[in-house]
Amino acid sequence: MMVRRIAASGTMLFCLIIGIFLRLSGSSDAGQASEPTAGGSFTRDGVAFLQANCLKCHGPERPKADLSLHRATNEESILKERKSWQRVIQVIQSGEMPPPNRPQPALAEKERFVKLIQDIFDRADRSGVVDPGHVTVRRLNRTEYHNTIRDLCYVDFNPSEDFPSDDIGHGFDNIGDVLTLPPVLMERYLAAAENIMSRAIVPNPPKPPSRFLSGRYLEPAAADPPVTPDGWRIITVDPNGSPLKTGPVHTSYKVPADGEYRFRAKVYAETSGTQPVKIALLARCRPGAPGLANDTEISQLTGAGLTALKPFRILTIAEVPARSKNKAVTIEATVPPGLEMNLGAVAVVKPPPGEPAPKVYVHWLNLEGPLDTRPSSQHRLLACDPHKPKPEQTREVVERFMRRAYRRPVTSDELQRVLRLVQTRESAGDSWEAAIQHAFTAVLCSPKFLFRIEPDPQPEARGPHPIDEYALASRLSYFLWASMPDEELFQLAAQGRLSANIEAQVLRMLKDPRAETLVDKFVLQWLQLERLSTFQADPKLFPKFDARLKASMLEETRLFFLEILREDRSVLDILDSNYTYINGPLARLYGIKDTAGNFWNSDPKKVKPKPGGRPFRDHEFVRVDLSGSERGGVLTQASVLTVTSNPTRTSPVKRGKWVLEQLLGTPPPPPPPNVPELEEDGKALTSGSLRQRMEEHRKNPACANCHAKMDPLGFGLENFDAIGAFRQKDGDFPIDPSGVLPDGQSFRGPRELKAILLAKKDLFVRCLAEKMLTYALGRGLEYYDKRAVDRIVTRMAANNYSFSSLVTGIATSDPFRLRRGKDQP
Amino acid sequence: MSQSYLSRRTVLQGLGVSMALPWLEAMGPATSWAAAGSSTKNPAPNRMAFFYVPNGVNMADWTPSQDGPLSEQLPHILEPLRPFKQDLLVLTGLTADKARSHGDGAGDHARALAAFLTGAQPRKTDGTDIRAGISVDQVAAARLASETRLPSLELGCEAGAMAGNCDSGYSCVYSSTMSWRSATQPLPKEVNPKLVFERLFSAGPDPKLAERIARRKSVLDFVLEDSRGLKKQLGVSDQRKLDEYFAAVRDIEQRIDRAEKMPPIPAPAGAVTPTQIPAQYEEHVRMMYDLIVLAFQADVTRVVTYVLANEGSNRPYPFIGVREGHHDLSHHGNDPKKKEKIRDINTFHTKQFAYFLGKLKSIPEGDGTLLDHVMLVYGSGNSDGNRHNHDDLPILFAGHGCGMVKPGRHIRYPNETPLNNLWISMLDRMNIQVATLGDSTGALPGLGG
Repeated sequence: MMVRRIAASGTMLFCLIIGIFLRLSGSSDAGQASEPTAGGSFTRDGVAFLQANCLKCHGPERPKADLSLHRATNEESILKERKSWQRVIQVIQSGEMPPPNRPQPALAEKERFVKLIQDIFDRADRSGVVDPGHVTVRRLNRTEYHNTIRDLCYVDFNPSEDFPSDDIGHGFDNIGDVLTLPPVLMERYLAAAENIMSRAIVPNPPKPPSRFLSGRYLEPAAADPPVTPDGWRIITVDPNGSPLKTGPVHTSYKVPADGEYRFRAKVYAETSGTQPVKIALLARCRPGAPGLANDTEISQLTGAGLTALKPFRILTIAEVPARSKNKAVTIEATVPPGLEMNLGAVAVVKPPPGEPAPKVYVHWLNLEGPLDTRPSSQHRLLACDPHKPKPEQTREVVERFMRRAYRRPVTSDELQRVLRLVQTRESAGDSWEAAIQHAFTAVLCSPKFLFRIEPDPQPEARGPHPIDEYALASRLSYFLWASMPDEELFQLAAQGRLSANIEAQVLRMLKDPRAETLVDKFVLQWLQLERLSTFQADPKLFPKFDARLKASMLEETRLFFLEILREDRSVLDILDSNYTYINGPLARLYGIKDTAGNFWNSDPKKVKPKPGGRPFRDHEFVRVDLSGSERGGVLTQASVLTVTSNPTRTSPVKRGKWVLEQLLGTPPPPPPPNVPELEEDGKALTSGSLRQRMEEHRKNPACANCHAKMDPLGFGLENFDAIGAFRQKDGDFPIDPSGVLPDGQSFRGPRELKAILLAKKDLFVRCLAEKMLTYALGRGLEYYDKRAVDRIVTRMAANNYSFSSLVTGIATSDPFRLRRGKDQP
Repeated sequence: MSQSYLSRRTVLQGLGVSMALPWLEAMGPATSWAAAGSSTKNPAPNRMAFFYVPNGVNMADWTPSQDGPLSEQLPHILEPLRPFKQDLLVLTGLTADKARSHGDGAGDHARALAAFLTGAQPRKTDGTDIRAGISVDQVAAARLASETRLPSLELGCEAGAMAGNCDSGYSCVYSSTMSWRSATQPLPKEVNPKLVFERLFSAGPDPKLAERIARRKSVLDFVLEDSRGLKKQLGVSDQRKLDEYFAAVRDIEQRIDRAEKMPPIPAPAGAVTPTQIPAQYEEHVRMMYDLIVLAFQADVTRVVTYVLANEGSNRPYPFIGVREGHHDLSHHGNDPKKKEKIRDINTFHTKQFAYFLGKLKSIPEGDGTLLDHVMLVYGSGNSDGNRHNHDDLPILFAGHGCGMVKPGRHIRYPNETPLNNLWISMLDRMNIQVATLGDSTGALPGLGG
């Protein structure tokens, strides 16, 4: 109000007066009296900067873009308009402000000013009430859908193959805000649910398969076996006879699945004696199967080929009353599960002493089974107490499935609704199995399954409070396994003891094979290696680059990280390690001679060869010791080097940017809106190494600021070509892998570069923690997450930066365990 | 009708290999229009389709030197389209203002594609709160939803997900999505020709169809009832996500209703199901074009979008001798060699478009060809790939729009004429009157002659 009457030229003076006035009155400075002197104070230096550079247009009179900055005089005023000031930082950093036609402050001044504001934000973020942020409800992405179905319905195929790809936000495909549900996807969900349930439950199981073999073709085989003209195989009893004549006669089987089978033989016997003729039905099994015949039992049987059939089990010994083929009988025996039967045989039992030798005629052998052709998923899903009445059984089966599908206990309303659905289908004529199959299909289409819904356990709470135990179980399982919680997590949640046991559970979950999703999903997205699948190197320049090499590159990085996960190594190994995993094609690319890690181009006089190596096999990955070489850590892995290159050449800028963004968390600001065309000197562009051609970046001051941060990092890796092979020359020009960073540190070559990065480990660890926290939460990080990240980093530093300390740090952090209260935005 | 189907057999031979579907004797497509056959009393409907190429175009080799009727001598990139000179309009001077930064800094690729059909400034975000505007094809799809089996078709050759952020702080959604169902709902593209084919056509007579439909309806009824109270438990942004779910369910219910009233559409004679995504890019591009022809021919849908490569695509084109990445080349810095390669890539794409026009023109429909009853727009939201400017956009209009468009000319509009004015005019010719869309200022004059 007073402000408007003062002429523009007096603005600066006025602001100074207002500033002093406010400070003297101390009104709004409660508790903020101490402003750090390191880096200056905003009231002094910040306001001075504003006056010199901004307030002419953004002062009280007709502020441009409706933005007046003159009221900012201290920390509190900045914090009040946080969003505007974040924008101010952005436009200053990108060079948009002050506008190009205005006098520009020196770079150092700009940076100091920006830092002042950022420090104000920092201090505020690290104190005050915890804000755990808000995660928009997340639908299951493709991987999570696939894994959840595998664990819920016990069928493992790829139901989400047809789903449209998930959109990516903040680098990951599991961000709640970004995942949408277009109609096409809903269609696919319906079709997938039907597909899944038709595999999991088979209401009309097919008849068990049956395998007949006529006596004509039974083993032992020969050109002229003892077979009657109408196909009866003859077994004679003769201690000196050949296996061909005396049996046992048999045939091999390949049983597709474990279960109960039935083995039959149609036989009759001829004898001149009076005692009954007995035969034994035998099943050859796996070694160690239960009930194998012992020597005493075997001695009761005849047949020269008997011992060769071991190990076998005697299924049954039965009398053969029939004495002519018209009266032939079928002898049958049950084959219990667990035997892995691979051969069925008929042997004649030794006649009692004094009896003449009988002859046994076999018409056919038959193996039927598995008698229960219902899939194992069906057994598990429909398991219930058979003694209870049917409606009770239905209830038990449905309640269990719904509880696991919705990942929480179900209300009686919800349960009733599904039970009604089952009833309706049964009344319409469906069998019990078919009705349940239909009900389960419907459950799989419910938003309570497709989305991870987290109801507020304390809706009236004003401040931050813990999320519900079941929600916590889901967060943990989807973070570490990209799948639903298991029984142990569910039980702990039911008892309300999960939040007290997070660390122990995390350690248990990391040991589970499902934790590999941390590598397959988190790491591969973090390092942006998904692009590798569509990368096309120029086949003329890089003939070695084929699909197999690409797959090998990815596998190397995968196995490398699997070791870090399983052996709980320090995450600093990511920056530099003395091991990796290599197969034949990679060894040829890297120039590694043998599995001991000796390189082809190393001079035995300078580098002592490591003993014990053997040549690589193409399909086998071997852990290789890289000590003493330039390689080690992700920066020298072909996967990363390729994905940060162009199809025909390396790109030091892309590599530098990748290091800054993905490893150090200090991304370069975006390029200014109008990158001027490079003034070129026609000669410089077409001659010289890539490095020389890029000197333009340094010459032009508009470019130098950011490129001075990116290019040296890339140049340090120039010894690795666009697909990761080591080289000393780029075409005709020798490689110069040296660089100087903006802070003055210089290095020569990848090893020294990695040492410098290791020295920046605080940045790296912080960056990694932020990225994994983003992945775990399913939302981008905001300024109020800074404190949580600080704590995670501290925990890691105290635990040797182990991988598990990173994961437990995240799982126990405030944003992971808490949710906002009513009073928070 | 059956005679014209047989003659289409040769036309459809371009499709990929493999299993031929069991299909019925020439059973025509089953919308009321297509079944009755077009005639003066039952004229063929108008269709619209939008085709996008990334990273801009070499305007010097694109813009014809003179205005008015297209001369015999076409610029290099338009040469492959010479046989279709009389079916083309070259529109110069159109601008996508919302693709400019307006203070948002870098990100021209993301903005170019996001603003192309929407005329809306996309919100600069890496993941939270994605927002653009509704696109013209979805405006049409919403109005025409009850007329055809599928309201619209979104196709592409490169799937959505690429790693990391795709353009300077913009989520990858922006640089890979052309169609927006609403300001907050991007629609994914289908890149697998087999899946597209299966969506368009059914596999043959399905005796169990009625039962399957009944079961699906039962499932949908259940989920709607089960989730009735759900939204109340959730916060605002969560409710929006659930709304997407409910909208999708309702969409399917409507689709099922239509499926009950309209019998299934078998693929036209000679059509062979594609089995997978072709390894060669050119084959992939053409296969998708073939599918669009089929979709229009059988009147499965009247609205199509096709993104030939995502914005910012760095794909090399080794089969035409360009081994460097497209995006890298488009930052040509005025290097003549790079510009030549860009020109070659641009020409490759117009060549494929010419193939598509050829197919459309060879299908008789009504008293003309399919090309007479379509309105196709081909272009990019970037003009020069190096400058990343969004005025003077490369835009081609092809087809006769059921007689409502007079092609064969080069029309130069005053600079800064909004591209969205073209969309308004196209919607008008589909009998959809919309006051404004995005940054449109009115209809685009001159299209009808």
